Amino acid sequence: MKPHLRAVALPGGKTKKKILDIEHLHKTFHINGGFLPVLEEINFRAEGGELICILGRSGCGKSTLLKIVAGFISPSSGKVLLKGKSVKTPGPDRCVIFQEDALFPWLTVEENIAFGLRGLGQDKESKATEVERFLGLVGLREFRDYLPRELSGGMKQRVALARVLILKPEVLLMDEPFASLDAQSREEMQNLLLSLWKELGHTILFVTHDVNEAVILADKILFMDKNPGRIREEIRVDLPRPRSRDGAVFLGFCRKLHEALRD
Amino acid sequence: MSENKEKINRRGARRFLPWLIPSLFFFSWIVISAAGLIPTYLLPHPHDIAETAYAYIFGAPGGGPYAGRFLSDAASSLLRVGCGFAVAVAVGLPLGILSGRLSVIQKLLSTTVNALRAVPGITWLPLAMIWFGIGMKTTVFLVAMAAFFPVFLNAAAGARQVDPLLLQAGAMMGVRRLRGTFAILIPGAMPHLMTGLRLGLGISWAYLVLGELTGVQNGLGAVIMDARMLGRIDMIVVGIIIIAVIGRLADRLLQGGMRFCFKSARRLV
Repeated sequence: MKPHLRAVALPGGKTKKKILDIEHLHKTFHINGGFLPVLEEINFRAEGGELICILGRSGCGKSTLLKIVAGFISPSSGKVLLKGKSVKTPGPDRCVIFQEDALFPWLTVEENIAFGLRGLGQDKESKATEVERFLGLVGLREFRDYLPRELSGGMKQRVALARVLILKPEVLLMDEPFASLDAQSREEMQNLLLSLWKELGHTILFVTHDVNEAVILADKILFMDKNPGRIREEIRVDLPRPRSRDGAVFLGFCRKLHEALRD
Repeated sequence: MSENKEKINRRGARRFLPWLIPSLFFFSWIVISAAGLIPTYLLPHPHDIAETAYAYIFGAPGGGPYAGRFLSDAASSLLRVGCGFAVAVAVGLPLGILSGRLSVIQKLLSTTVNALRAVPGITWLPLAMIWFGIGMKTTVFLVAMAAFFPVFLNAAAGARQVDPLLLQAGAMMGVRRLRGTFAILIPGAMPHLMTGLRLGLGISWAYLVLGELTGVQNGLGAVIMDARMLGRIDMIVVGIIIIAVIGRLADRLLQGGMRFCFKSARRLV
């Protein structure tokens, strides 16, 4: 099947700034002397402030795609363009929220959030104000002096969010960040992410295998096939926000995607 | 309430736990000596030991063969251990961290380090005596040689096992290599670094005594060797106890100092 691309009409006919451009991306791994094509002809773009979910079953290369955009691994061919400039190494313009806990275990919540600000040449006071603001945004003011090992999974991911949002990245890359949380915390985190997104207006690339999560969050879903991984379809989700998790339209949308995922 | 009290009692009991074995040991020593089970030329009475120790530490110089020598002996031994250990750390820590992270360095060093490691430390003694003569330099060389391996190997293991995710997290937050080394790699490897430093310092004391057994004038090891030749077993025992106490204190000081200087040592170790 050929990757299916279609032009994305923006709500209200607004023309938004193009932030991220993925062009003809291929990735092949060398394993046991053989070649394993993981990603094939990936093309998509993200407009400023768009929330895009990359949805697919495990093994479809969606995490690999995110790692390439982050600059942790390089593509076999193709380009990642950020505001028209090709990017190849990791940097604070494309921050990542990992699936696993990647906080610095020897730093408190507050110090973890302030970590990226070190060496940015801001004065102390404005740094402290910023840290305070983001502690508040993720609701962790009372936990500022806690160490990561003393936090629950959901709280850790809040810290992870705050420590990168404070750097004002162009794009936020999220690699199944809530997959290891229990259902309730996951819902809480999804709501928190949506409210932060509304307030700060980041462009977000969100990898998930959870259909409901994708439908709750996304403006646009990139639906991926596996072996080799490619984008089967770009699906606009134009359900009005805030979306209710039990509306008939929402559930219908999810059901259709579930069926598609099963094929 | 009573449960709380019980908890406090238990914690009180815990605090005495480290002293249980030394005091049992001491008690049986007194019993054995009082009963005369072992002749005093093999195991002197604790009372004699105390007297010798008092004279050695607080006595006026010249008041007896070992009177008042403690300060100068301890000072020269500490200087030797300090210098040897410092050399081992200055070389072993950076090399270890490099070899844990860079496979080129690891390949470059592994054969040499492992070959040298197979040589027992004492084997260096004759060579060191020819090269450096008797005294300070030989001892420092032996101590540095012995302390290098635990420091190096643990630093390498520590640097190797730092979660790559943490380094990736640093990279995406704009941390470059040099800062990453100090802000992520070293703190992440801290538990191993601490282990290496403590093992290294411990073994430093062992090789200090070895270096001083070769006929230097002063030092804790020298006193022990001297006492053996004069048949002063009480002084030998005093020397052993003093080395044990100073060694333990040095270990505490090292841990305390690291905790004071590094958040990661306070919070991870």
